[in-house]
Amino acid sequence: MLDVAEERAQAAMGRWEARSLGVVRAEAAAEFARAAGDSAPALVDPADPAFVVHPMYLVSLLRPEPGAEPGELRPDGMYRDEVPGTDGLDVRLMAGGQAVRWVGEVRVGDRVEVRRAVTAVDRKRPDLLLITVEKTYAAERGPLIEVTERFIVR
Amino acid sequence: MTEAATTEAATGAVTAKAVTAEAATAELVPDEVMLLRFGAVTRNTHRIHYDTAFARSEGLAGPVVMAQLHGCLLHRAAAAHAGPAGRVREVSWQNRAPAHPGDRLTVTSTVRDTDPVSGEITLDLVEHRTDGAVCCRGHAVVVPDRTRD
Repeated sequence: MLDVAEERAQAAMGRWEARSLGVVRAEAAAEFARAAGDSAPALVDPADPAFVVHPMYLVSLLRPEPGAEPGELRPDGMYRDEVPGTDGLDVRLMAGGQAVRWVGEVRVGDRVEVRRAVTAVDRKRPDLLLITVEKTYAAERGPLIEVTERFIVR
Repeated sequence: MTEAATTEAATGAVTAKAVTAEAATAELVPDEVMLLRFGAVTRNTHRIHYDTAFARSEGLAGPVVMAQLHGCLLHRAAAAHAGPAGRVREVSWQNRAPAHPGDRLTVTSTVRDTDPVSGEITLDLVEHRTDGAVCCRGHAVVVPDRTRD
């Protein structure tokens, strides 16, 4: 299984894909902040004059409203396309780490698109594959966040 | 060191303490309810976060805290260091060990260096769980609140 995932991920390297994350709503960002355990009014109360979108909101959001179709999910509950190369394979998926760089301010009302591409595929061990993905979150007025994300496939 | 700010949330037993010198900390005790809420708002349906039998079949001790929730805690520690008018420019981390509901997660940040021109501070971040194991290790770059100088 890992050989197939590795081959697919290698083939996907450098191929950029885009997906809409919808429009940033204040209530949704505030709900995220509350669920993350924040209590600062500027993060959890859209009526607060200093309200801002939680910086981790967009990069934590796996799907926009209204959510995924059932056919988009793997048996383990992950999205089939979340980890490139693993669709349909009986492999274990774990997050390896992230680097998040904020290059613009996310604002309520932003229509956000995320682009991503596989940038590295590393067979660490016969039973462990590391896939690195670069993501760029952008609004119409320009880039907002850049992410490097690593997935562990076993 | 001078404590500059302390916040406590109504749920999740979260705290963040900002200090103006070497270190800042943030704590979180995620429980099953918090994982459910966080998974719902992020639309993260991976079964390792809520299905005990499935998590064990994956070689885990039980449901695990989402990477993004670790990221939120790491960001919180960095933001506490930046101060109210400061901002976090970058956070990065590697996941080293899983955390489970009920674990007390503590992030400690220490100053690695300060850019003499821009004033940006690079922080080393370490997140420990209750038993002392390192869950995450990483760094952050913050633009500090100059009004606190």
